Amino acid sequence: MTPGRPAAARFAVVGNPDNRRVTLFADAVRAAGLPGPRLVPWADVLRDGGADFAPDEIVRLDSPGEDAHVDRLLRGTDDPTRVEGSARWYTAFTSAVRGLRGGLRLDDPDDLAVLFDKRRCHAVLAAAGVPVPASPTSGPGAPPVRGWDDARALMREHRMARLFVKLAHGSSASGVLAVESAGGGRIRATTSVELAPDGRLFNSLRIRRYTDERQIAAVVDALAPDGLHLERWLPKASQRGRAADLRVVVVDGRATHAVVRTSASPLTNLHLGGRRGDLDEARAAVESAGARWTDVLAVCERAAACFPRTLCVGVDLLPAVGWRRVAVGEVNAFGDLLPRLTGLPGSGAEGRDTYAAQVAAALRRHGPRSTPGSPDPQDVDDPGDPHGKHHPLHPHPHDTRTGSAHAIA
Amino acid sequence: MTIGDHLHAFHGLPAFTFPGPEAKADLPAPDSVAWRVTSDVYDADEEWESAFARFLDAVDTTAVRALIVGAWQEAYDTEPSGVVEALVAARDRLPALRALFVGDMVGEECEISWIHQTDVTPLLAAFPALEELGVRGGTQLRFPAVRHEALRRLTMQTGGLPADVVRGVGASDLPALEHLDLWLGTPDYGGDSEASDLEPILSGARLPRLRHLALRNSEMQDAVAAAVASAPVVARLETLDLSMGVLTDEGAAALLGGQPLTHLKTLDLHHHYIGEPLLERLSQTLEPAGVHLYVDRGDAEEDQDGDGTVWRYVAVGE
Repeated sequence: MTPGRPAAARFAVVGNPDNRRVTLFADAVRAAGLPGPRLVPWADVLRDGGADFAPDEIVRLDSPGEDAHVDRLLRGTDDPTRVEGSARWYTAFTSAVRGLRGGLRLDDPDDLAVLFDKRRCHAVLAAAGVPVPASPTSGPGAPPVRGWDDARALMREHRMARLFVKLAHGSSASGVLAVESAGGGRIRATTSVELAPDGRLFNSLRIRRYTDERQIAAVVDALAPDGLHLERWLPKASQRGRAADLRVVVVDGRATHAVVRTSASPLTNLHLGGRRGDLDEARAAVESAGARWTDVLAVCERAAACFPRTLCVGVDLLPAVGWRRVAVGEVNAFGDLLPRLTGLPGSGAEGRDTYAAQVAAALRRHGPRSTPGSPDPQDVDDPGDPHGKHHPLHPHPHDTRTGSAHAIA
Repeated sequence: MTIGDHLHAFHGLPAFTFPGPEAKADLPAPDSVAWRVTSDVYDADEEWESAFARFLDAVDTTAVRALIVGAWQEAYDTEPSGVVEALVAARDRLPALRALFVGDMVGEECEISWIHQTDVTPLLAAFPALEELGVRGGTQLRFPAVRHEALRRLTMQTGGLPADVVRGVGASDLPALEHLDLWLGTPDYGGDSEASDLEPILSGARLPRLRHLALRNSEMQDAVAAAVASAPVVARLETLDLSMGVLTDEGAAALLGGQPLTHLKTLDLHHHYIGEPLLERLSQTLEPAGVHLYVDRGDAEEDQDGDGTVWRYVAVGE
């Protein structure tokens, strides 16, 4: 028991056993001097239609991914490399989350339902004045994209010559196409989707380029039944000759961890050849472009503030060419897998990885009260921190600008 | 591979991006940087011509030595004829201009083969003291033969350089030209020249001061090498650059079997498909004579189809 606590806090994790996310979080809980969390496997939750937690259990949900059995239960496909099934996954996952009863929750079923629907997430961010790339499929009222013909019509109508076509419920670049078109019928799609001769779709580790519109149409038509989200492709800033974006983890309202990802292709995901870039260099590029780094982090915090009942999100931040403007690409519910990365200076998470930062924040939110005069060593905040601990919800001069990169200068 | 970085420097000056309308940053001395004036390819808030007008108002342009044209609106569909007109119209306000680059866009903004260019020779006519001209993008690029007394360096970076442009350069009188750099590209992206189109350049007759010749990024790099192997201009060169292309044993053998290259200071063959034995022979032939030989393979990797077809790529295509 931690000195100064009337009772030790206890954690439960819903996750896949032996997954490194679960292991890393359990390590962080134990490192805080607490008993290891109770693991509730997703497979059991799905089998039993839910799970119960004690009133004082702090409940963390982790990704149900990287487990073939769970994946089959959620998506209904035998092959984890298949692209199809994300709509079914969404229904099954959100319904499983709603079957979790009791406990002190670090997540929220309604937030998750938005976070795992790119169309709804885009609308929520845009309504909050968070800069996002323009989208004709934003929100529940947007027209459905039933196939390539619909996508083409929206591209014409919205003058979107260059765009990302994404699965509404996809993750990790699954089912994403970066499409560029020009006059004379020129078109090209860059994607990790592989179209098999029999029409099935697979996630590949190799980036492919399709220049035949019939092939692109075949891929998009096959993806469309799972729901599609279209978004303008903002030219990204570069670092050392590679396109760059940022993953910024926000814990309890504060941007605590950030990495730069760079790629020679429009897709920066690490499994597709993306690499870690240099954060100090990115920060310097922002400042020398006349913008402020704190404003960049504030954009991420404002995105996270759209999900106040969710302790931690990973924000994909897109710096526009020149590093002077940014937009939020995605907000990820399970975007905290950045092993060994310690917190940003001034974030309150210095020296802590994303998991330790969440354990500390969870104890602040839900832990047993510390005895006055004996501060919890896990809960030290630098009182001189200029960054502030509040949700930065204050209005911003450019808040009304959506649909293009957001000026941070 | 695509173009990943904007120009860091140009004409010996560090590149500096002229800030947007809302910025209040201090500007450097007009002659201390290469000014990059840019719009956006997509969803431009400000067209290039407007940004340039702001530049003309904000900077003492009489001292500006180098200008970089970055992105213009919808460069994937639009020739920069308005850009060229605006530059020509500003000729009297840019008396010190010595270097001009048109089309400094990275792949995220517009892939090199998608950049639409235009006839750039009006720029040479408007700026008779210009010493350096660079363009990126070959689509719609035109270069009818010119005479220009001052131009020392001409660069054309493309994924496909039209044969008409190659012939136009060859037919031009450029008595001061020291450095010529042509990225020939591939037929897929409009690079339809043949080795014979290079003959006027390789004769050197209209390029008396040429010392640095790059004919690179070519799908027909072997044929280029074969043509170079017997070209009169080579005897005058310090630098020969046949890099970034599909250069195989065939081209290497042509170089080894042609005129001596031992007088060169530099032979750049990086990104190539030459096998080890011929690389070794190149090294043994040239390096003892003091030639700097660049043979980094880079990302030159062959792909093989199921039917045994071998695919080789230039360094910058797309």
